[in-house]
Amino acid sequence: MQRMKRFKWGVLLVVLALAVAACGDDAAEEPVATTAAETPATTAAPEPADDEPEPEPAEEEEEPASETTTTTAPPPPPPEPVTVRAAITGDEGTLNPYTYISGFPGWNILMLQYDSLMQLDAAGVPQPWLASSVSVSDDLTEWSVTLVEGVTFHDGEPLTSDDVAFSVEFYTTNPEASRFARDFRGVADVVVHDDYSVTFVLESANPGFDVVALADAPIIPRHIWESVDIPSEHDFGGTNIGSGPYILTEIAPDQSYRFAANPNYFRGAPAVDELVLIIFADDAGAQAAIRTGEVDVIFERIPPEQIDLLDAQDPLDVILGPEFATQMINYDASIRPFDDVAVRQAINLAMDRQDIVDTVYLGAATVGSPGWIHPGHSVYNPGIAVDVYDPAAANALLDGAGYADSDGDGVREYDGQPMSFEIITNASDSLRLRIAELTVEMLAAIGIKTEVLPVDTAVWENAVWPGFDVNNGRNYQIAMWGWSPPVQADPLRLPWLVHSSLDRGFLNLTGYGNAEMDELSEALAVEPDPAERKAILGRMQEIIAEDLPFVLLLYPDGAYVYDSSVYADWEFIAGQGIVSKLSLLPPSARP
Amino acid sequence: MTATGGEDRAIRRAVRRRSRLPTILGVAGLVIVGALVVTAVFAPWLAPYDPTERIARPFLFPSAEHPLGTNDVGHDLLSEIIFGSRVSLMVGLVAATVALLIGTTVGVIAGYYPKRLGSTLMRGVDVILILPFLPLLIVLAAYLGRSLLNTILVIGLLIWAEPARIIRSQVLSLRSREYVLAARSMGAPDRWTILRHIVPRTALLATGSFVRAVSGAILLEAALSFLGLGDPIQKSWGSTLYWAQTRGAFLTPAWKWWVLPPGLLIMLASLGFALIAFSLEERINPRL
Repeated sequence: MQRMKRFKWGVLLVVLALAVAACGDDAAEEPVATTAAETPATTAAPEPADDEPEPEPAEEEEEPASETTTTTAPPPPPPEPVTVRAAITGDEGTLNPYTYISGFPGWNILMLQYDSLMQLDAAGVPQPWLASSVSVSDDLTEWSVTLVEGVTFHDGEPLTSDDVAFSVEFYTTNPEASRFARDFRGVADVVVHDDYSVTFVLESANPGFDVVALADAPIIPRHIWESVDIPSEHDFGGTNIGSGPYILTEIAPDQSYRFAANPNYFRGAPAVDELVLIIFADDAGAQAAIRTGEVDVIFERIPPEQIDLLDAQDPLDVILGPEFATQMINYDASIRPFDDVAVRQAINLAMDRQDIVDTVYLGAATVGSPGWIHPGHSVYNPGIAVDVYDPAAANALLDGAGYADSDGDGVREYDGQPMSFEIITNASDSLRLRIAELTVEMLAAIGIKTEVLPVDTAVWENAVWPGFDVNNGRNYQIAMWGWSPPVQADPLRLPWLVHSSLDRGFLNLTGYGNAEMDELSEALAVEPDPAERKAILGRMQEIIAEDLPFVLLLYPDGAYVYDSSVYADWEFIAGQGIVSKLSLLPPSARP
Repeated sequence: MTATGGEDRAIRRAVRRRSRLPTILGVAGLVIVGALVVTAVFAPWLAPYDPTERIARPFLFPSAEHPLGTNDVGHDLLSEIIFGSRVSLMVGLVAATVALLIGTTVGVIAGYYPKRLGSTLMRGVDVILILPFLPLLIVLAAYLGRSLLNTILVIGLLIWAEPARIIRSQVLSLRSREYVLAARSMGAPDRWTILRHIVPRTALLATGSFVRAVSGAILLEAALSFLGLGDPIQKSWGSTLYWAQTRGAFLTPAWKWWVLPPGLLIMLASLGFALIAFSLEERINPRL
């Protein structure tokens, strides 16, 4: 009885604590109870999407480092060094290429210390960076790179083609797994011509080598890494030497990172002289901190409902931009009734995408193109109509295809069964759960009865993508789904989603197949001419919008909040957000 | 003499006052619970809107049309909370019933056969009592998945141990009463003795345990739903808090109409049942 009573009081206390904590003002300190409870909500499922098994940043309970120095709005004299304090919500290890933790923002922070041969510009297109020029042979197997001369590592040693070749060799031969090993998987040889020119010889044509490898992998110095055997056990120190615009000077585990600008950076000294990353337990803590001026920017997306509230506060500003993550409806197109294209088209027509964007995302998302590619993407086919909501047409389509409601219960029938399905979704993604609820409403309007089944992420993944291998088949009827940005940012990955052969279409979760699509997919992989590739992708988008292997609903926009009185020159890279060296370099040094 | 008489009166008055307090609290509890039950039963008539219908813009502030504003997808919050009382009370009552059924069965058997069977059962009860409560609840809820039925089962399965112990101790004393011994010595089978003589006499104690269990179960349901381990689609007070939390209401002015009302109702419901239980306890077991 004692225990029970004590427990009851405990729960009562929590409820009270929540109420009291909320009673502070908007800018109140982070309520402890909220912090604890936030965890299940924000450990949002890593979109199982990406082929990169980077774990999400672990949710830590530690309190944020108490930042007592009050560097408020900088006074007028301009030579005053600029310090930017950024909030992140998870420890990122010692931040070398083998020890950083999260895909975002971990990789982005890593790349402040290192450079890659190419760098994405604001539109998300790779531009030469460490390379002064990049050329590719007509058969797409030989990529030749000329390096910028005079680039040095933080310790003053020059960066030469020898370091480039060494980086590839190290990533691919070191027994320890690295994300960057995958970048260079198809590289047969790296030929060093002289100190500043090098050629990558690939085993087979790869038109996307610039995006997946050259603009992704950091170049590491041979003179440091050749003595490293087990990279992940290497402590902070020497291995953090790169050629990038920032030098990591201090790590306080689970508290903060401190970076100093590299004054000798080859594109010019960074605009921000010092960058301090402060680790917070969760989003709520980070948001409370930027309200009170404890940090100047949050290196994580902010949720839609906070955008207006934060933007309204002076001197905070919110920057929005396209990100290529997706929210979509998957169905098993290999089973009845979803094998009938009329049913898939009807579902597509029934979805009021604008309503979902306005209701769930409060406008902070881009209405989905039924042809998969984001309208802000360079290969988007403008011929694809985005706003297709037409429930009357959907009903007519289903009537015409013979799915009548013969017993008058408001639910159509197929093969003598009612069109009644479960929509499986992961409960940890609350916005997706809300989209599922709206989907139920919209499908009810065309006589398809559905029910949301919120489950744990693992259960959901196992139903939709058992064992992360499409050869294991599918175990669902309708599912809410979403891919992480890289799947769409690089359009050459589109065949992965739609090719009917499962070794090429290894992300084809809906069991879709179309002969023309297969041909186009294969043509795309060997087409050297970018304009021609764009034409092929345009045709593929048309087929997707017509054939609906899945129903794309929307692309959430990236939204980041910063203090404009401290630093305002943030650059939004399409599909990547603001956490990049471009944001911190003077505008003249950006591509 | 007069002095002692005065003392007597004072003592009698004090006793009367003491015995009146539980009654007052019990009535207060009954009023609270009664009001909530009426709300739950008549929810469709009391609620201004259908809580599952998107009737306005999301995140609306309170207004004459929507006294508590709207939630993150434009459901009317007042209606949501009114309908939420159904799930919250229902889970509380059903889970407590489950707990009581298990608890009474175990308690009676363990009390009636105190030797080997009884002590084995009571060791099981001890294990349940020793296990860290909230972590176990969370693990079980996560393992079984999200549905109303699972929430009820999980709560019921975890709170039966207290009633079992209380009832066992009562049965232990009942089984050695003379009329029970008499019945047994005349050859009454165990089943008959238990059903005829033992179980009816545990009913009063069981009622007290039941009401107390309801109070606990309501809090547990709210806790589970708030943590996102209940069915987030079901409208309960806990799930209203869950959505308030995931959509940032704790950081915005919305806490006043989105967080506070369901929080207070959870407290009130739990308090109502706890008061009734307290009052019953005083009557059943006045030594406390």
